[in-house]
Amino acid sequence: MEFVKPGTYIDFMKYRAPVVTFLGLLATLSLVSLFYPGPNYGIDFAGGTEIQLQFSADTSPGEVRAALGEAGYSRPDVISVEGADNEYIIRVREVSSLPEEQVGQIRESVNSILGEDVIREMKVSPGGDKITLRVSVEVNEQQLQEALEAGGARVRSVSSLAGSRDPRYEAQLVGVADELLTSLQKAFADRAPETPLRVEWVGPKAGEQLRDAAIQSLLYAIAFIMLYVAFRFDMRFAPGGVIAMFHDALITLGVYVLLQKEVNLTTVAALLTIMGYSINDTIVVYDRIRENMVRVRDKSLRELINISTSQMLSRTIITSVTTLLSVAAFFFLGTGVIQDIAFALGIGIMIGTLSSIFIAAPITELMDRRLFSRSTGS
Amino acid sequence: MDRGWYFRLAIVVGSTILGLLALWPSVDRWLPTPDIVKEYFDNQINPGLDIKGGLRLMYEVEVDEYIRDRRDRIAEQVQRQCGVLIGAVSEEDVDDVDRETMSKIQERCKIERVDKDGGAVRAIRVTFSNQADADKLSKTWVRDYFRDLRVASGVGGLVVDLHMREEQLSNMRETAVRQSERTITNRIDSLGVLEPTVIARPNDGDIIIEVPGAQESSFERIKSIISRTAQLQFKIVDDEATDVGALLSNPPPGIYLDADSQPYLEAFGEDARELLRDHIATIPVPDDHELAIGRQDPDPDRGGEGWRTYYMYRVADVTGEDLDDAAVGFDPQSGSPEVDFTMNTRGASRMADLTGSSIGKRMAIVLDDRVESAPVIQGQIGARGRITLGAYLDRNELLQEAKDLVVVLQAGALPAPLRPANEQLIGPTLGQDSVTKGARAALIGVLLVLLFMAVYYQVAGLVADTMVVLNLLLLLGIMSGIGATLTLPGVAAIALTVGMAVDANVLITERIREELRLGKSPRSAVEQGFARAYSSVFDSQLTTAIAGVVLWQFGTGPIKGFATMLLIGIATSLFTGTFCSKVVFDWIVRGLRVQRLRVG
Repeated sequence: MEFVKPGTYIDFMKYRAPVVTFLGLLATLSLVSLFYPGPNYGIDFAGGTEIQLQFSADTSPGEVRAALGEAGYSRPDVISVEGADNEYIIRVREVSSLPEEQVGQIRESVNSILGEDVIREMKVSPGGDKITLRVSVEVNEQQLQEALEAGGARVRSVSSLAGSRDPRYEAQLVGVADELLTSLQKAFADRAPETPLRVEWVGPKAGEQLRDAAIQSLLYAIAFIMLYVAFRFDMRFAPGGVIAMFHDALITLGVYVLLQKEVNLTTVAALLTIMGYSINDTIVVYDRIRENMVRVRDKSLRELINISTSQMLSRTIITSVTTLLSVAAFFFLGTGVIQDIAFALGIGIMIGTLSSIFIAAPITELMDRRLFSRSTGS
Repeated sequence: MDRGWYFRLAIVVGSTILGLLALWPSVDRWLPTPDIVKEYFDNQINPGLDIKGGLRLMYEVEVDEYIRDRRDRIAEQVQRQCGVLIGAVSEEDVDDVDRETMSKIQERCKIERVDKDGGAVRAIRVTFSNQADADKLSKTWVRDYFRDLRVASGVGGLVVDLHMREEQLSNMRETAVRQSERTITNRIDSLGVLEPTVIARPNDGDIIIEVPGAQESSFERIKSIISRTAQLQFKIVDDEATDVGALLSNPPPGIYLDADSQPYLEAFGEDARELLRDHIATIPVPDDHELAIGRQDPDPDRGGEGWRTYYMYRVADVTGEDLDDAAVGFDPQSGSPEVDFTMNTRGASRMADLTGSSIGKRMAIVLDDRVESAPVIQGQIGARGRITLGAYLDRNELLQEAKDLVVVLQAGALPAPLRPANEQLIGPTLGQDSVTKGARAALIGVLLVLLFMAVYYQVAGLVADTMVVLNLLLLLGIMSGIGATLTLPGVAAIALTVGMAVDANVLITERIREELRLGKSPRSAVEQGFARAYSSVFDSQLTTAIAGVVLWQFGTGPIKGFATMLLIGIATSLFTGTFCSKVVFDWIVRGLRVQRLRVG
């Protein structure tokens, strides 16, 4: 069987203008999408609310997950606690964050009711489930609760904290946990717990450290790849491969963001895989160009690119097809996270195949014209 | 077939068997592993948190300890700056005050660390011996030199109390938690491909770590590595002090006073350490000194393992912060395991200063409030040193201890001790149906690729399929061998690797096709095809591998895990795609001597 007949010659470079324009538009759109609407970060990056609770009768994690899904929580983690009957840790992305102006209102209300400048320090937890106050004089807890509520906060309880020079108070707020509990009570009736065992805001799994390390390692990776390509091929080839690689990752991320799919750690893994695929694909085409530069003497680089890409077309298609086959299996047969990865990879592979032909090679030709304009330009 | 071919075949068969053996413990459930195999391959693929669940650990960062530690460091600075204030030291020499000058400053302005309200308020008390010196201390001076301190009372008087600023305290809390998270991540990363989750919650002052898997023994090791503070300090033992004997006199029952040239307390038996610790906490040691405990030779007659006290200066002149690298080493004489370390330039010069001025004295190597050893300084020591672990433990235990110590020293010290707050075994984050569907999708994906290759490339396709299966086996075998964690996205990544790994086969087969079209014989087409395709296969894989190595070197957590899998995948697909498939092709064209090679 042959998808591409031997001896096929396609003038790829002729089509580069429209394809590059198309890909360029896609890339620009993707870049814009990163700022508006901006990535929809999942719990891995944004953190969320963690609730531990115990059902009063038998339930399965699957049931709980399904109930939460129906109540509109996207991809909740429902983790059973081993050794404790029907006890679960539930993590959702939702946080009950208080907007700036609301925090200001609360502050004003407390100051006006309990006395001007009574607040030394007021902190709202990132999850919006707690307000911690440091005040200059001891206040009545009931009064403080009323003052907070007058400012618009939905307070569950206020307690005083020991161990400081100034009196400190902590107010637990009504928030995500209560809403989640309500929806569980709706689904499970009297099996559902009345109060959670524990509610806490959880930070992101992928914090600053991971982000810094990721950026740093990517920059080094680019530098080393460029160095290697420049050494194995020559300087003309280096930028094309790296630009194509970024272009692919950017567009994949862009599509993700435009569809407002959750960006999680697995998305990052998918993007890294795409970059690996992209540079791999580009190098294979480069290799053939290099080989033909030695073997075919009387052709311009433009023609050489066409010849090489045509020769490699069969391979390019087969490899894309086999990779897409396994990706398709995950997309159509998998669930949740797996489907998302498959989706990202599918886009990345298609864009990556296009970019090897229409981004990497033309940039190489452009570099060639800039660097060696006298020798090959004539 | 020539001998070279048989040799290559042996390598292929050998690695296949090795792969199978390494994988065996991972399928123990369905096919029990014989003990002889377990002896060499005791690791297995660790199902990830999403598939199997694991252990959830919660640690509270003892931020108060961190704050106390910060206060102690600031107190040290206050002492030095007071030296400048009263004119005993010049502004330039403030960081380089020797011990005698220090005690002279101490006489005119005494610095004490004061804890109020059960440790809730960490204060520094400055007591001047004359009013003229006391007048020099002003609020502005405190503000200018110490942004973490504020004057609580007594400006103008002989006794001034300085408190830590409240607003700095919450920053310090956050710093302590963030740094702990960083250190824990580094430590876990150095244990291999474990894929744990580390979540810090600075507001609550705690850290949650979820470790996948179900092996009790590995949990124990992880716990001991996480919770170790690993503060390494080098302090000078004060053997010249004259008042120690009085301080240590009349020990309670079970503790003995050894009153040779330099008195110390000792105790024996299992509870000896706690006994000593509780007792020395009651001894009023002068502020610039401290008593610490270390192991000593066991005495079977008095109850077994032995512990003793050391009386030393409180200030640590050199600490683990100046450590550059650590490695397991062996004592040249006894051969017992120890930890060798190298200091960075700053540490080396400090160490040289310290040891140069203290020849003949003893230097205590203190790790987490425990004196590991206290050798007499024979001469100036530079960048290199070692921590002997004493010969009190079994050799294997010592070796494990040395290895763990290297892990924690390299990852750095925790800014504050961790207190285990909660520990729970947890179930998987994904439902059983998601896992089953994911696994089924992986299987179908691989089968589709195999089918496609066989149909499109026929004989060459079957060769490629064999290689894909072998590749999968080796990949899983290596994962099993290093005890890597497999998550559901990991399963997807492996299936994708299969799709991408056929690339090498495709490149080679396409080349063989091209050569055949030129009218070459199957044998020379195979030779030429492989020879020509090698460069593109190697270049493309090597470029990806470079990226993989860089990600592995600089990445943390999941990124490091990804890079490890990427590198293993590249190695196995290069091996199967080029080396192994050449063996099979050679057999087809030279062993079977086919006249026509069907490559589709």
